[in-house]
Amino acid sequence: MADFIVNLRGVGNVSVIDLKGYLDAHTAPELENIFNKLVDEKKFQVVVNFHDLQYISSAGLGVFMAYVETMRNNRGDIKFSNMKENVYNIFDLLGFPVLYEFYKDEREAINKFNEQEKS
Amino acid sequence: MNFYKITRTRKLEYTILFSILLFLFDVIFSSHDSIIIHIAHEIIVFLVITSLYIYLKDFLAIRTNSPFTLVVNSLILAALIFFILTLTNTFFNYSEINSNKISFPGSFSLLLIIFILIGAATFIFSGFRELFYFRQKKNLQMYFNTMLVFLALAYFSNLLIKFDDTFDYPKDAFFVVSIILISINSLRVAWIAFLSKKQKIYLLIISIILTTLFGVNFGLLIDSNAVKSVIYNFSPGLFSIFILTMIYGMIYSSVIFFTTLFHLPTAEEFDRKAEEVSSLFDLTKLITQVFDLSELADTITALTTKVCNSDFAWLVTAKNEKFVLNSVNNIEYNDAEKVTEFLLDEYSYDIVNVLTIKKSTIKIRDKDESKTLSFGAIAIAPLRVHGKLNGYLFTARKHEYNFDEEDIKAVGAFADYASVAVENAKHIKESLEKERLEKELDVAREIQYKILPRKIPNFKNLTISTVFVPAFEVGGDYYDFFELNDDCLGFVVADVSGKGISAAFIMSELKGIFESLANIIVTPKKLLTKANELLKNTLDKKNFVTAIYGIIDFKKEQLKFARAGHTPVLYFSENKLTKLKPQGIGLGLDYGHSFENTLSEVTIELKDNDIITFYSDGIPEAKNSKLEDFGYDRFVEILRENCNESPDYISSELMKQISMFSKDKSQHDDITLVLFKWKSNNKLNGDS
Repeated sequence: MADFIVNLRGVGNVSVIDLKGYLDAHTAPELENIFNKLVDEKKFQVVVNFHDLQYISSAGLGVFMAYVETMRNNRGDIKFSNMKENVYNIFDLLGFPVLYEFYKDEREAINKFNEQEKS
Repeated sequence: MNFYKITRTRKLEYTILFSILLFLFDVIFSSHDSIIIHIAHEIIVFLVITSLYIYLKDFLAIRTNSPFTLVVNSLILAALIFFILTLTNTFFNYSEINSNKISFPGSFSLLLIIFILIGAATFIFSGFRELFYFRQKKNLQMYFNTMLVFLALAYFSNLLIKFDDTFDYPKDAFFVVSIILISINSLRVAWIAFLSKKQKIYLLIISIILTTLFGVNFGLLIDSNAVKSVIYNFSPGLFSIFILTMIYGMIYSSVIFFTTLFHLPTAEEFDRKAEEVSSLFDLTKLITQVFDLSELADTITALTTKVCNSDFAWLVTAKNEKFVLNSVNNIEYNDAEKVTEFLLDEYSYDIVNVLTIKKSTIKIRDKDESKTLSFGAIAIAPLRVHGKLNGYLFTARKHEYNFDEEDIKAVGAFADYASVAVENAKHIKESLEKERLEKELDVAREIQYKILPRKIPNFKNLTISTVFVPAFEVGGDYYDFFELNDDCLGFVVADVSGKGISAAFIMSELKGIFESLANIIVTPKKLLTKANELLKNTLDKKNFVTAIYGIIDFKKEQLKFARAGHTPVLYFSENKLTKLKPQGIGLGLDYGHSFENTLSEVTIELKDNDIITFYSDGIPEAKNSKLEDFGYDRFVEILRENCNESPDYISSELMKQISMFSKDKSQHDDITLVLFKWKSNNKLNGDS
C-alpha cells in the first residue's frame, strides 16, 4: 500500500485538510487525529481536499461520519472538494452527496462557508 | 544407566568374591610358609584392593560429589583409621603378634581390622582421585595412571625381599618415585577456587586437622608397634600402599591448606564474581521464561543491589516519551521517582555508558513537605537495544565509597539484560496481540458461516446460485432468503463496514432485523427504512451498512427491490445488460428523513431467461498484482458470454476468472455473489 499523508492548513476561518495516497483502516487514525485537533481548537469549518487521494475504504468514510455531527452542531460542516472520479463514485454509490456538499474546487467550498458566516 | 548399574554391581561382586577368597586362603594356608603361597596371597590382596578401588572410583564418579564433601569424607575416614590403629595397639601386644601367639578370635578380629583399613584407605584414595580430576580442563590421565603403576610396583617389589633380604633397593626406589609422583599430583587443587568464602574457611580448618591426622597415622605405622606388625605380617605390599596413602593424605592436605590460605583474601571477590555469574545465568533463564516485565524488573533490581553491594536500586523504562518507574528495591517509590526526575534532568546527556556520580544530596519536594536524600554514590546505566534507549537502571549507596570497575561492569550487564527483557516483553505482547486477533477472526468467520443461509431455496421459476468467499479479515458480507408465502420470496444482500468480530456482531444483528421485518413489511422501501431506524441502536457513528432488499412475486412475475448504498444490480435481459442503480443511501449514514426521502424502489417485470446479479464490492474491487481492479467490464463480459448457462455454471465461471485475475494478490474483502435466473410461467406451462 502506498503511503498516506494528511496535511492541515488554515484559509481564513476555514481549515483545509489535504489528503494524499490511500485512506483505509490502517491510515484512518491519522485523519482522526487531525479532526480531534480541530475539535479541540474549536475549528468546525472544514474542507477536505481530495486532490491527491487515490483510494478510500469504508473505514476512511467512517472518519467523516464520526465527526460531521460535531461540526454541524457547532455551526460548522465538513465539505468535500477536488475529488477524483473513482473516489467520488464510492461516495456517490453510498449516497453521500445527499448528506454532504461536494465541490469541484476547494475555493468554492471555502466561499460557501464565508457566505454562511455573513448570513 | 541400567547397563552401568549392572557393571557396577558386578564390580562389587568381584570385590566381595576376592575378599572371601582371601579369607578362605588365609584360613586354609595360615600355617604354611612357602614362597608360592606368599606370592599367591599377595596377588589376592592386590586383587581385593584393585577391585575395591575400581568399584569406589565409579561409585564416586556417579555421585557427583562436591569437593567439599569429598574432603569431609576423607576426614572422617582418616579419623577412623587413627581410631583403629590406636585400638589395635592397645589391645594387641607387639610381641604376641610377632611370635604368632594369637588365638582364633584374635586373628579373626585382626583380619577384620585389615579389611576395614583396606576399605578406608581405598576410599580415601578414590576420593583423592575424584578431587584430582575435579574442575580440570586438561587431560591429566597420564599423570595419575603413572602414579598408579608405580604404586603397584612398590606393592609387588616387597616380594623381592622375600627372596633375598638385602634386595630392598628396588622397593625403596619405587617408593620414592611414588612419593614424587604423589607430590606432583597433589598440586591439582583447582577446585578450591570455586568454593564459597565460608567453605574456604571451613576447608582451612579441616585441612589442618587432616594433615595432623594423616601425619599421626603415618607416625603410628612407621613405629615398631603391634599394628605395624599386623599389617606387615599380613602383606608387606599392603603395608607399603597404606603408608603411601597416608603420605598422599599428608601432602595433599597440606597443599590444600596453603592453597586455601592464599585464596582466602580474594575469596570475597571471587564470591562476588561467582554471584554475578550465577545471577546473570539466572537472569538469562528468567528472560526466556518470564513474560511479565514487572516480575523481571524486581529480579533485576534485587540482583543489582546484591551484586554491586549497593543499598538501593530502581529501574525505569520508556513509555510514551516518558520514563516510568518499573521496580524499586529498598527505596520508596515516590523518592525513586523524584530522584530519577532530578538525575535525568541533570545528567541525561552524560549517560552514554554507565555513569557514576560521587556524593550527592538531592532535595525532593513532595506536595508541601520537602526532604533531603543524600547518597554516597550513584551509578546510572542506560538500557539500550539497537541504539534505542529503553530506560535506565539506577543503583545507589548510602555510604561514601565509589563504585569500582567491577560494580560498573555488573550494573552495565544488568542494564543490558533489562533492555533485552523490555524488548522481549514488547515483542511477546505484540505476538500475543496478533494471536488474539487471529483467534478473533476465526470466531468472526464462524459467526459469519452460521449467519449465512445453509440451504438455498429452490423454485420452479427461479434458480438461485450463491457464492461466498470470506477474506482473511472477514469483511461482513451477508445475504439471506425469506420465504414469505407461497407466492413471494424476500431476499437481502448486505455488506457491513468494518471487519472482524465487530462486523460479525453487526451482521448477526442485521440478520435478526431482516428476519423479523421480512414477515411484517411487504415493500422493500418501507422495510429498509425501518431497518435503518432499528440500526441506530446498533451502529456507532463510524459504521454503516449497504444493503439491497428485494421481493420476488412468482404470481405477478415481478421483482421489486430497493438499494441502500449497495453496489448496483446487474440485470441481463433479452441480450441487454443494465446496471440498475436506484437512489438510496447506506444504512446508518443518516437517521433523519434523508434516508426515506431518497430511497427509491425499482420494479422489474421478469422475462424468460432473465439473469439478475447481486454482489458485494469484493468482486469489482478484486485486485491483481499491479493493484488494478477486476472492474465491471470483465464482470459484465463474463455474464454476457455465459448468459445461456445455468446460474451455478455462470457463478463458477466468474469465480474462476476472478481467482485467475487476482492470483498473485491476497483477497482483501469478502466476495459474495447471488445470481437469479428466471423461467417465465408461460415457458413452464408450454413445457408441460
